[in-house]
Amino acid sequence: MSAGHGKGRHPDLWLGEILDQQLLDRQERPMGMVDGLVLQVRDGRPPKVTHLLVGGVTLARRLSTPIRWLVLWFARRYGRGEPYRIPWSAVRDVGVSITLDLDAHDTPVLYWEDRVGRFVKRLPGA
Amino acid sequence: MKKALEITLGIITSIGGFLDVGMIATASQAGALFGFRHLWVIALGTLCTIFLVEMSGRFAAVSKHTIRGAMRERLGANFFVLTLILSLLVNFLVIAAEIGGLSLALQLVSGIEARWWAVPAGVVVWALLWKGTFSFLERGIALLGLVTVAFVIGAAVTHPPLGGLMSGFLPGGPGPGGDPPRYWFIAVSILGAIISPYLFYFYSSGGVEDGWDESYLGINRVVASVGMSFGSVVAMGVLIGSAMVLLPRGIQVERFEEAVPVLAVPLGPWGFYLFAASLGIACLGAALEACLSTAYELAQGFGWRWGESLHPRDASRFALSYTIVIAAGVVPTLLGLDPLKLTIFSMALTALILPPVIVPFVILMNDKRYLGEHRNGLVSNAVVLAIIALAFVLAVVSIPLQILGG
Repeated sequence: MSAGHGKGRHPDLWLGEILDQQLLDRQERPMGMVDGLVLQVRDGRPPKVTHLLVGGVTLARRLSTPIRWLVLWFARRYGRGEPYRIPWSAVRDVGVSITLDLDAHDTPVLYWEDRVGRFVKRLPGA
Repeated sequence: MKKALEITLGIITSIGGFLDVGMIATASQAGALFGFRHLWVIALGTLCTIFLVEMSGRFAAVSKHTIRGAMRERLGANFFVLTLILSLLVNFLVIAAEIGGLSLALQLVSGIEARWWAVPAGVVVWALLWKGTFSFLERGIALLGLVTVAFVIGAAVTHPPLGGLMSGFLPGGPGPGGDPPRYWFIAVSILGAIISPYLFYFYSSGGVEDGWDESYLGINRVVASVGMSFGSVVAMGVLIGSAMVLLPRGIQVERFEEAVPVLAVPLGPWGFYLFAASLGIACLGAALEACLSTAYELAQGFGWRWGESLHPRDASRFALSYTIVIAAGVVPTLLGLDPLKLTIFSMALTALILPPVIVPFVILMNDKRYLGEHRNGLVSNAVVLAIIALAFVLAVVSIPLQILGG
């Protein structure tokens, strides 16, 4: 588990090695967790993972009712619509974390980090 | 040489992490009411903490995962959120109690009532986290924390009888004429004060942040066992001092101020200031660790950027998390809640919430996929689970009795 294995060398991945894993961008900066997966259902062939999903709403759909309602209400009021979809082709390495061939700042996943950051910058001493 | 330095620093840090407002409050009440009869409870809690801290360091060194991140992966989103909420509740109670203790230390020195110190105390904790780097905080507070050794010196000066001390280490009840519900309630609070989940989230996150690998397993074992034992000796010093000074005088420690003679009697005028300094520094150190632990747990569970060495604007959600929990933690003291009652209540409640917070961690420690050959053995599992089960059963029985009894 501690040694990262590249996609090519280790084609069989277990669901738990992807779902709820830490995502890192090209510069190893944390950019959220894998909150969900998109599967493509194909005729006569096994389903294929096409995208990773990042977003609180996706996580909330997997939670028990009261928490799900709370998060979905919050998302309707303040959210930004759909969760962010990361194509499987952007996955560079699956190890302790999942490293992506992306720059976190080119994606919307840091929306709250940046928004809170703008607020934090106005506090004394920042 | 470098490793020796790391071990020393680690040990000093764990003394700081071990001793907090809960430990001082519960140990001084125990000694004042029941003499040496709770010493075995401190020993048992210490044993459990040594195992848990060693496990959390081993988890970081071998798996490179954070505990919270791994819990979410392994135990599912629902269970992760449930244990996260419980853990945040415990952390909030601890932080509120530490801020209360720090405010009370400032009251002792200044004569101004504790509730007026709540906001300044919160601001100091916040500013240190906001501006300080990890190593500065860890080492600075750790060195200052050495002042708490005053409790051991104070206890030694009172010349406690050796036979009495020894019998305190044998598990037993309140003794003839004692009040069993009170005795067991204090025992629960002691266990809740010693077995602090924030301590090992903090410790483990430090290991991940410093990039520990398997070569740290030896250091980790030494730091966990020696450091926690040292902290435990200080806690026992508080209890023994209280038993020797407060019990014969009939002081029952209904308020924190009443515990001052524990040092003021054996050490004279200096004892008063040493008590205030020990209480203040122990609370400050524990508040810092509990606040960081709260932010670590949230950031690691949701995949945010985290790290005490990062500037707040580079890990904004992490910084906002501890800011919010400090603001909330100030409220109980500001409202004028008695710091001692707040502390005892928080510690007993912590003991009650331990199973859902600790058991999932023990499950992770048995996972071959994270730890391979370094996963838990039978002994570690048995020791931790037995002590947690004991704390839980005692809590379920004694908390209602304590509430009914007044």
